[in-house]
Amino acid sequence: MTAFVEWRGITKSFGAAPVLRGMDLAVTRGEVMFIIGTSGVGKSVTIKLLVGLLRADAGEIYFDGSRVDHLPESALAPIRKRVGMVFQSSTLFDSMTLAENVALPLRKHHRLSQKAALVSARERLAQVYMADYADRYPADLSDGMRKRAAIARTLTLDPDVVLFDEPTTGLDPVSARRIDRLIRELADRSKVTCIVVSHDLPSIFGIADRIAFLYQGKVHALASPAALRASPDPVVQQFIGGLSTGPMETPGF
Amino acid sequence: MITRIGASAVSAVRASRELWMVFVSTIAGLLRRRSAPRGELARQLHAIGNKSLLFIAVTLGFIGMVMTYQACLQLGKVTGDYTRVGSQFLRLIVSDFGPTLTAMMLATRVGAGIAAELGSMKVTEQIDALRMSGVLPIDYLIVPRFVACVIMTLVLTIAGSLVMFAAGGLTATVSFGVNPQTFFDLGAVRPRHLIMLAVKAGAYGAAIPVVAGFCGLRARGSSEGVGWATTAAVIGSSFSVIILDFVISAGALWVTGGDL
Repeated sequence: MTAFVEWRGITKSFGAAPVLRGMDLAVTRGEVMFIIGTSGVGKSVTIKLLVGLLRADAGEIYFDGSRVDHLPESALAPIRKRVGMVFQSSTLFDSMTLAENVALPLRKHHRLSQKAALVSARERLAQVYMADYADRYPADLSDGMRKRAAIARTLTLDPDVVLFDEPTTGLDPVSARRIDRLIRELADRSKVTCIVVSHDLPSIFGIADRIAFLYQGKVHALASPAALRASPDPVVQQFIGGLSTGPMETPGF
Repeated sequence: MITRIGASAVSAVRASRELWMVFVSTIAGLLRRRSAPRGELARQLHAIGNKSLLFIAVTLGFIGMVMTYQACLQLGKVTGDYTRVGSQFLRLIVSDFGPTLTAMMLATRVGAGIAAELGSMKVTEQIDALRMSGVLPIDYLIVPRFVACVIMTLVLTIAGSLVMFAAGGLTATVSFGVNPQTFFDLGAVRPRHLIMLAVKAGAYGAAIPVVAGFCGLRARGSSEGVGWATTAAVIGSSFSVIILDFVISAGALWVTGGDL
C-alpha cells in the first residue's frame, strides 16, 4: 500500500546533540500508527517535522505524495489544514473560552465569521461531550476536559491526519481509555490517519494498528502490536517490559 | 577558546538577524492589519498604559525631586542664582529625561511582562498551537502590543514629564524658596525639543515590545527558560532604550548643527 505520510532518511540535531539519525517511516492512509520509545528519542520531533513546527537537517518528508519538508512557513497553511495536531499539554489559549478556542482554526483557515465559527465550534465540542462547557475558560476545567477540547479544536478542520503527542499523559486511567476510544473511532469511522506518540502501554497495545519503536535515532522495530509483543529483540522486550536493566542505552542514566 | 568565541559570535549574529526579522515581521503584520484577537488592542492599551501610570508617575516624580534638589544645591554653592533652573530642567525633561526614564521604567515592567507571557506560551507549545490554527504568532501576539506600547509610551512620557516637572518645582519652591513663576518657565522649550520627545517615545515604544517579544519567542525548556527570557527581555529592552537615546540624540545634534 502506498504511503500517505512518509519520512525518508531524516536527521535532526539540537546543537551538538543528534536526535534523529536517518529515520525512515511510512504511514498508510487510515491507520493508527503509534511511535514509541524512551524520552528524548525524537518521537515528538518526528511528528513536528511533518507540519513544519521543526525543520529537519537532512532527509525528505512526504504527505499525500507531495514533499513538504522544504516548504516555507507561508506555504504550510494548506498542510496544517489537513494535518491537525493535539499537543501534549492541550495548549488551549487561556484568554479564550472553549468555544472561542475551537472556533479559532475555523476563522483563520476557513475564513469563517466569528458567529459561524462559534456555531460550528459548539457542534464539535458536543462531539467530545463538552457542549456544556463551551463558555468556560480552560483554567476552570480538568486536564481530561482540556484534552478533549483540544481534540475538538484539532478535529474542527476535518483533517486527514491527526498527530497526537502523548494524548493520555497525565490523565487518569478512565479518561485515558476514553481518549483511546476517541482515536480508534476517528480512524474507524472517519478514516482519519492517526499518528500517536505515546509511552502508555495500554494505549499502545489497545488501539494501534502498527507500532514504530524509535531507538538511537532510527525506527528500530516496526510491527503490529502482537508482533511487537512477540519480538525476540532484547531492546524491544526491555522497553515493553519496562525493565530498568538490559541492553537499551538511555542517555542520562 | 577561539572556537568558543567563534560560536558566540555566530550565535550573536544569528540572534541579531532573528531580532531584525521579528521587527520586520511586526511591521508587515501591522500593514496586513489582521489576525489580532478582538479587543486585544484595548486590553493591551490598558495593561501597558493604565496599569503603568502610577508606577511611572511615582518614579519620575521622585527622580524630578532628587534632580532639582541636587541642581539647586550645587547652584547655591556656586552662584546662588536659581532663575534658570526650572526652564533648563524642563528642556532636559522634554528632550531626554522624560521619554528615556519613562521607557526605562516600561522596559522593566512591560518588557518583563511580554517576555514572560510569550515565553510561557512558547514552552507550553501554545505558540505552536497558534501556528497550527493558521495564525501568525507575531501578528497575533506582538502587533497589538507593539501598537499599544508605541501609543502608551508617548502618553506616559507626557504624563511622567509633567509629574517630574511639577515635583521638581515643588522641591525648588519648598526647599530653596524659588519663586514658582520663575521655576515654571516654558521659555527654553522649542518645537525641536517636542519633536525629540515624540521621536524618542515612539522609538522606545517600538523597541520594547519587539525586543521583549523576541526574547519570549526564543524561550526554551520550561520555567527556567521563561525566567531567562524575562531577564534577557529586561536587559535587552533597557539596553535598546539607551542605544536609541544615544543614536537619536546624536542624530538630532547633527541635524540641528549642535543647536539643541
